[in-house]
Amino acid sequence: MHYLKDRAEDLIAAFVTGGIGLFIVIESMSYRLGTLRSMGPGYFPAIIGGTMLVLAVIMLLTAQRSERLFSLERGQVRGVLFLTAAFGAFALTIESLGLLVSVTSAVFLAALANPNTKWPLALILAVCTAVVCVLIFRVGLGLQMRAY
Amino acid sequence: MSSLISDIALGLSVAASWEGLMYCFIGVFLGTLVGVLPGIGIMATLAMLMPITFHIDPTFGLIMLAGIYYGADFGGSTAAILMNLPGTATSAVTGIEGYPMAQAGRAGPALFMKAIASFVGTMFGVVLLVGFSVPLARVALQFGPQEYVALMSLGLVAAAVIGTGRSIRSLVSVTLGLALGLIGLDLNSGVGRFTFGMTEFYDGLPLVAVAIGLFGLPEIIANAGRSELPKVQEGKIRMRDMMPTREDWRRSALPMVRGSAIGSFFGALPGTGGLVATFVSYAVERKVSKHPEEFGHGAIEGVAAPEAANNASVQAAFIPTLSLGIPGDPVMAIMLGVMMIHGIIPGPNVIQSNPDLFWGLIVSFIIGNFMLLVLNLPMVGLWVKLLKIPYNLLFPVIVAFTCIGIYSVHYQVMDIAILVAFGFLGVGMKALKFEVAPLLLGFVLGPMIEQFFRRSLIVANGDLGTFFERPIAGTIMTILIAIILVAVAANIRGKMRARREVRNA
Repeated sequence: MHYLKDRAEDLIAAFVTGGIGLFIVIESMSYRLGTLRSMGPGYFPAIIGGTMLVLAVIMLLTAQRSERLFSLERGQVRGVLFLTAAFGAFALTIESLGLLVSVTSAVFLAALANPNTKWPLALILAVCTAVVCVLIFRVGLGLQMRAY
Repeated sequence: MSSLISDIALGLSVAASWEGLMYCFIGVFLGTLVGVLPGIGIMATLAMLMPITFHIDPTFGLIMLAGIYYGADFGGSTAAILMNLPGTATSAVTGIEGYPMAQAGRAGPALFMKAIASFVGTMFGVVLLVGFSVPLARVALQFGPQEYVALMSLGLVAAAVIGTGRSIRSLVSVTLGLALGLIGLDLNSGVGRFTFGMTEFYDGLPLVAVAIGLFGLPEIIANAGRSELPKVQEGKIRMRDMMPTREDWRRSALPMVRGSAIGSFFGALPGTGGLVATFVSYAVERKVSKHPEEFGHGAIEGVAAPEAANNASVQAAFIPTLSLGIPGDPVMAIMLGVMMIHGIIPGPNVIQSNPDLFWGLIVSFIIGNFMLLVLNLPMVGLWVKLLKIPYNLLFPVIVAFTCIGIYSVHYQVMDIAILVAFGFLGVGMKALKFEVAPLLLGFVLGPMIEQFFRRSLIVANGDLGTFFERPIAGTIMTILIAIILVAVAANIRGKMRARREVRNA
């Protein structure tokens, strides 16, 4: 048990690699394999998946103890959540509501990823950025995006 | 010779045109800016400017992107010397000697010598680029698919094995990149692979979203919570105080030459690049120095040599990129991506078919470096002031620019989702100590390798020996296998030793 715990980092890495490799091999079986002389769409993926399995086995066998498993720093969770929300807000609103709304919401949410940024400041920054973005990308470069 | 002069004249007419100068200036200016500011990397900047390059002439787009690349190294070492806050990974070495010099009140000479060394390294690299690219491209025109498979595999394996210290993990990164490159329609059979029925995946994953997700997002996530400002050494730096002493010049001359040579070598090798070059050149100077005891306390050789090496490697990295179409690092992969979006197929034909692009880019390196000298020496105070921009107001703007940049490539909302997914992948890989750079190289080269691999075997009637029978391909493959064997052996031996030590303890 100690063996596994000490080597958690290497072992997780090996299992993730092996899992992806296995998935690729299985998935590639659903395409025509072909022969070396005339390879089908499944041949090269099968080689790649196989390589990952071999590398995973090597990692498994040479797993070493590591100091400590990765730890999330404080504040990183908040950053990840708000930044994901920011990108999500942009993606959800860009086609229906246009550049102005989507940039405002994205910048507002992204700014709040920093715990020390107060929301009024974030809002001002968001509106200013949105206006500038519309001027640069819609008016200046003429990208095919609705402003609002 | 006369053709060289006319080629350079052609390049000059492109790079010294109004637009050429403007985009070059924008590039080096922004490059210096992001180099000085910690927390914004080259990759994130390239993302923000990606939409612009799609709407202008590809030559000017590449001139600008290249300017960001070498400008950021320039600015990065300014920050490394003044604040011990290297803005880019490669400038960390410069800080080892540069920061102690600044603490001893010799920031001026350090900055000046850094600028001169960068300039020397660049010129060295440009001369090599001019000297090697054209003949190399001519040779490469004779290459069959086997040679390309061999060269690209060498690039990938070199990227994974050299200078990373965790070669197995990096090989996994490369392979994962190759696998991600498979997503999309298979060119030979028209079968959609790994698309899971989604039409958005038929063209493959978008390079920009993948690159920014892997490199830019983890950077933003790691820095988003940061609010304190870096401490800047107060006190004005005047031009008058900048002149190095005669002793400084004498001590720096040879290290610059050695650094340039080391940098060019590693830069031209696909997969290694500037980081290895700077560390090696620093180590070399330390070894050959007559007064090694000064290293770590502000030895000017330790500023001059790595700076020359770094900049020479940046220029030399363009040799395989432009003459063979094989990118040596993620930035070069982005460059090739920009070319492909404009319909230019990277490879030995580029020099012939787009001479204005090739020579214009080369001449712009020289012009851009003159601009950098002006931007960084008399105006160094400006950059120091810029460090007072709070990062918590900067990164939300970067998020917005990134979103727009990625969305504007295909106008697909799916691309934003891919960006976020690769952001998570990047964070996860970092947590498990996988390198992300080899992944991106694998991703870019994957589809090309597969095509060449299949073509070679059709030509050779399914005989795998074809990769070893042709002289050039065979030599490269032998080197490749040797590198893998040495790396795996070193890996296993290191771990066995570690295990034995644990047992003995």
